[in-house]
Amino acid sequence: MKAVLRLAALSAWSRRLTLGLTLVAIALAVTLLLAVERIRVDARQSFTQSVSGVDLVVGARTGGVQLMLYAVFHAGAASNNITWDSYQAIATHPAVDWALPLSLGDSHRGFAVLGTSADYFARFRYGDREELRLRQGQPFAGVFEAVLGSEVAQALGYRLDDRITLSHGLAELGPEHGDKPFRVTGILAPTGTPADRTIHVSLESISALHLDWVGGAPVPGVKIPAEFVAKFDLRPKQITAALVGLKQRGDVFRMQRFVNQYRGEPLLAVLPGVALDELWQGIALLERTLLAVSALVVLIGLAGLAATLLAGLNERRRELAILRALGAGPGDMFLMLTAEGVLVTAAGALLGLVLLTVASNLAAPWLLDRLGVVLGTRWPGREELALIGAVITTGLVASLIPGWRAWRMSLADGLTPKL
Amino acid sequence: MRKLLLLLALCLAPPLHAADDYRDIKWEALVPKDWDPARDLKALDFGKLQDSDPRAMEALEKMKALWDAAPTVPAMAGAKVRLPGFAIPLENKGGKVSEFILVPYFGACIHSPPPPANQIIHVVTKTPAGKLNSMDAVWVSGTLSLQYANTPWGSAGYRLTADKIAPYEEAKKK
Repeated sequence: MKAVLRLAALSAWSRRLTLGLTLVAIALAVTLLLAVERIRVDARQSFTQSVSGVDLVVGARTGGVQLMLYAVFHAGAASNNITWDSYQAIATHPAVDWALPLSLGDSHRGFAVLGTSADYFARFRYGDREELRLRQGQPFAGVFEAVLGSEVAQALGYRLDDRITLSHGLAELGPEHGDKPFRVTGILAPTGTPADRTIHVSLESISALHLDWVGGAPVPGVKIPAEFVAKFDLRPKQITAALVGLKQRGDVFRMQRFVNQYRGEPLLAVLPGVALDELWQGIALLERTLLAVSALVVLIGLAGLAATLLAGLNERRRELAILRALGAGPGDMFLMLTAEGVLVTAAGALLGLVLLTVASNLAAPWLLDRLGVVLGTRWPGREELALIGAVITTGLVASLIPGWRAWRMSLADGLTPKL
Repeated sequence: MRKLLLLLALCLAPPLHAADDYRDIKWEALVPKDWDPARDLKALDFGKLQDSDPRAMEALEKMKALWDAAPTVPAMAGAKVRLPGFAIPLENKGGKVSEFILVPYFGACIHSPPPPANQIIHVVTKTPAGKLNSMDAVWVSGTLSLQYANTPWGSAGYRLTADKIAPYEEAKKK
């Protein structure tokens, strides 16, 4: 048995070019399959990790998924703002332990600007109830002070006490609030959540920015210099959304109904877990389709392997016949061919895993930047191992065909030259 | 002989984790027997009311308030119970659900008005329970306690520290 396997390996090595190409095809197919699975799992993980300890996300009435997407992940745009009065009614409700106002809409060179209260840094939790930590400096205290997410600071090369200018809207070309620069007072430690790509300022700063703005554009002739801003009433009049934590979590539905039936204006409260489940259900079909397509690609790769081995049988008639003449039985022939197929599949799967690791390391910063998905380098998880196992099993089944052919070939077949 | 004695002792010793350690309860057990939410509404004949009738609206409001303040059964505090329900995840730990809300009927809370306060249980797991999607049916075994916090709805509400969570399976008919 051992000798046969050794022969199989040596024989395969002598045909390394053809088999090598087949191996590369299988490796690429496996990479694709594992990449689809890994991105699926990591995308979920990134989303789930982004917020923790929040019982309700409150915003203007819209879809639950959309509210969650813009309030927590800063993706997409808000359908409407909610008034400060409504926020106060919720924040001061006796069942509410704490509430964080969120004001979105401004940006700085593609990064979202979040207006919030100074409590944010003490209250906000992500992952497994982890707190936001400042790597440098301190939280904003006054107007025109900003705290940067770790990635903002890194990507734009900002340091403490730098001056930055915010622009209106998420587009990079939006009109700028050039006359009112912000001072960087703090930089957050990396979290792997949207906080990394966010610039945090106070709600008052957001009001101050828009003092001389009416209806989304600066009013011609009206200029309020930064030094006079303090004389105005900077209390926020509206916010985009709020994160709410309750005194006891069992009250979550009663509070949700209080918000949803709030008489003052149409509001929506969603449970983050429920909204995320809705999101997953929405994209489950897409995920399954992607997985099915990549499984097909693997099948094509393995069919290619079977074809290569079958085609090789013709060339190897002499080789196999000599082995038979030297005493190898039909069973040995079968074992040799099947082992070759499994060997190539296993090597392909392994190479695919290596390729995936290299590719995900190269693509990770880009994915984080563009999609906010944190792609981790790690040992393959249970699902991935199951996929690799399925690939190798299918490879074994595919190799049985050439194995069977070799088994059936008669001893004389390769020795009598056919003319 | 010694071996035999040991074997005998093992057989007689009380099992460490008996299956009937947790008492199977129904959701009705969480409602006080003398609680009659309809008492205040008996004066009204719903059959004669139109939807737009202000008395009907008032009755609905009253109903909601009653539901919100539904009382708990104090005797259930500390009870080790097992009961089935639908889970709505609240908190995740490394992809596993560590806290969720358990309700008795499908669709409760999300698509229809929530059930009475005494039919909602806030479940905290000792060890994260694995993957749960919204509205997955589960058996939960653990210790019940009453929540006491100052909310506008009084002290109503159950909390359960779960030792074990298993996917729900229909009980086999004997």
